[in-house]
Amino acid sequence: MYGGGNTFEAQQMGGVENEDPIKLAEFEARIARGEKIEPNDWMPALYRKQLIRMIEQHAHSEIIGALPEGTWITRAPGFKRKLALMAKVQDEVGHAQLLYSAAETLGKPREKMIDDLLSGKSKYSNIFNYPTFTWADSCFISWLVDAGAIVNQLANSKGSYGPYCRALERICAEESFHLKYGHHCVIHMATGTPRQRKMMQEALNRWWGPMMHFFGPPDKASVHTEILVKWKVKMATNDECRQQFLDMYVPKIWELGLNIPDPNLKKNPETGEWEYTEPDWEEFKRVINGDGPCNAERLAVRRVAEERGAWVRKALLKPEAAYTTPLA
Amino acid sequence: MQSLDPRVNRLPIPESWGELRAKTPLDQLETYEVFHQAKPDKAFEHAGIVHAPNDDMAFLFGKEQYSRRGNTCSGIWTVATHKVMVTPYTEGDTSLYDLFEGEQQHAAQTEAYEIFHLKKRGKQHVHAGTVQASSYDDALAVAQATLNDGKMVYNAWVIKSSDFFKSNAEDVDMWNTLYEKKYREAIDYRAQDKINQFKEEQNLQNHG
Amino acid sequence: MDNLALKELLYKMADDQLILGHRNSEWTGMGPILEEDIAFSSMAQDKVGQSQQLYILLNQLGEAEPDTVAFMRNAEQFHNCQLVELPNGEYDFSLIRHFLFDHAEWLRFEALSNSSYEPLAQLARKYKGEIKYHLIHANTWIKQLGNANEETLARLKQSLHELAPYALGIFEPSPYETQLISEGIFIGEEALKARWIESVNAILAQTALGAFNWSASNAILGGRQGKHSKHLQPLLDEMSEVFKMDPTADW
Ligand SMILES: [Fe+2]
Ligand SMILES: [Fe+2]
Repeated sequence: MYGGGNTFEAQQMGGVENEDPIKLAEFEARIARGEKIEPNDWMPALYRKQLIRMIEQHAHSEIIGALPEGTWITRAPGFKRKLALMAKVQDEVGHAQLLYSAAETLGKPREKMIDDLLSGKSKYSNIFNYPTFTWADSCFISWLVDAGAIVNQLANSKGSYGPYCRALERICAEESFHLKYGHHCVIHMATGTPRQRKMMQEALNRWWGPMMHFFGPPDKASVHTEILVKWKVKMATNDECRQQFLDMYVPKIWELGLNIPDPNLKKNPETGEWEYTEPDWEEFKRVINGDGPCNAERLAVRRVAEERGAWVRKALLKPEAAYTTPLA
Repeated sequence: MQSLDPRVNRLPIPESWGELRAKTPLDQLETYEVFHQAKPDKAFEHAGIVHAPNDDMAFLFGKEQYSRRGNTCSGIWTVATHKVMVTPYTEGDTSLYDLFEGEQQHAAQTEAYEIFHLKKRGKQHVHAGTVQASSYDDALAVAQATLNDGKMVYNAWVIKSSDFFKSNAEDVDMWNTLYEKKYREAIDYRAQDKINQFKEEQNLQNHG
Repeated sequence: MDNLALKELLYKMADDQLILGHRNSEWTGMGPILEEDIAFSSMAQDKVGQSQQLYILLNQLGEAEPDTVAFMRNAEQFHNCQLVELPNGEYDFSLIRHFLFDHAEWLRFEALSNSSYEPLAQLARKYKGEIKYHLIHANTWIKQLGNANEETLARLKQSLHELAPYALGIFEPSPYETQLISEGIFIGEEALKARWIESVNAILAQTALGAFNWSASNAILGGRQGKHSKHLQPLLDEMSEVFKMDPTADW
């Protein structure tokens, strides 16, 4: 899972002034031709740095994202749901593994990335800092948070960095199961007993705000953004992703007779754009900066997992084995 | 820390954290490249990497990370990343073999090498074949003579067969039940009927 | 054929797998290494999936639906051995349990693949490959950690020591042993236990732990008759928390 919301651009970083102009021209021409950049290819420092940051945050979001849903594995109602949720959360852990691997090809070791997550240096998708109160919350995540993630991931899979694109292709194939499973769950809740329906509506009320935050604040043009678009690192703006999400999923939510808690939400027939109440961006900032309902818990759980696993990793380490950057 | 998550409440989470220190050195395992074969008549393809301490565990990990999906799998190979010899990449309509000028050695002592080709930039390396050779360079020269079908090859990986961990033919039954795990597939979650029925009932209530 | 004997066998197998699969799934997202997290989750899924198939066999013999059977019974109606219901502990504990249990399961399924009760024999043959991976996984880990360093050795030793009496409880005899054996349904728990001791000790002997002296351990029994540790009922309460909100609802 992944949100555009907190992929901050690399700040205070040199542009391309110091790059070799001939190599830079070749690099840009390759991207313009629609070819992928591979780990061994020459690339500008800014490209490498921004990609590491982006893929790493994406990976963190997957592993942290396994927690709010993972909590429902032991409580999923019935065999079908239990098996599906086990497999779904397992996939998210697998996505983290795939994405860390892709980022590693750019030269940052996985354990360093995990270190940066645990120390709070590196961010993950804000939406996972909210709690899942009932089974219906997990249904919401499986369907709609994953739907949002797919919008982002599909866009990014058309990007320029080969290993990231290949990881995303694999991930998107698995996400189609998550999406259908999640939708299936929500359909059953929404068309089920009055109690189920109420649970689902309440979950929707809780999650709509964070969902609107998911794609990040409205875009502001910047020099960096422009170059990242040209290099096919940034493939769609936050607003484009949000619009696409609303367009695909609002009708599907409405057809289940659920109410979206935004009286201003409607599609403008003239512009074709969705209009909505701006979510509380102050809250978004607060939560990103650590003051959300679950930030402390999410990091604490990861830290405990890391500490409990330390003796296992230590036992497997071979002193003579040198770490090699993976190939593709 | 009291959590909504019963699993979290069972964890030994400390009251407070001391100062967090970066791990030095990193407890980072070696990486292994994993190759996957979907069916017996298909070529092995590069699937990705795993972190592992040795071949045995690379297989354990690679199998679940790269072959738990799909209806079939007939084999997994793993090899330590540092045992892969990588050629330079070529561009446009220049194939690797157009530029390679090695000579076959025809040595008396040879061993098997596995050759993987990258035929399209952005795609996976695919197993092209096995050659007998006396060195990595020799293996590439033999591959140039025997595995080059004239189509573009932008990059090759040359790996000694003996460096691989290969799943056994008699163990393919480990993947026998893959097709049954429908709960992992999107196709198992159709519910349009339920939506239609719900809409019909709504209509009846509104207009009936 | 008297179904009581057969049902008893199926229930204890299915309950073992469901409860252990459930326990092992608690590691998902919290494993010691990402790759192992994934592998362990797959095996937990296999266990839950196999238990479901066994409950389906029971359903065909006249018992309630798998969901009802799994989610609506109380602890004293469960026939699993106490080994599988214990909380996960640290990873050494979970791994040793996985190792001890899956050796028994492997051998049980191997024996059952010749069962005179054909539906069960078919099932056992079908899952052979799945469980083979579990066995390779368990053996590889135990050999790896059992030869790594003093800390891992101390951990494994401690866990093995704690779990041994519970593991012997896997083989608590059923009231129908003679019938199951004479009808060719199953080889019986005694025979299974003998094979199991040989099988786990063959691996333990390859580690610094060495072969284990099982005869010095007293089996903790009762699970097969519905006597459980204090851990099972809370596990079941958690498992059925949502389901029991409305057992007739379609979730
Ligand atoms: Fe994901
Ligand atoms: Fe997902």
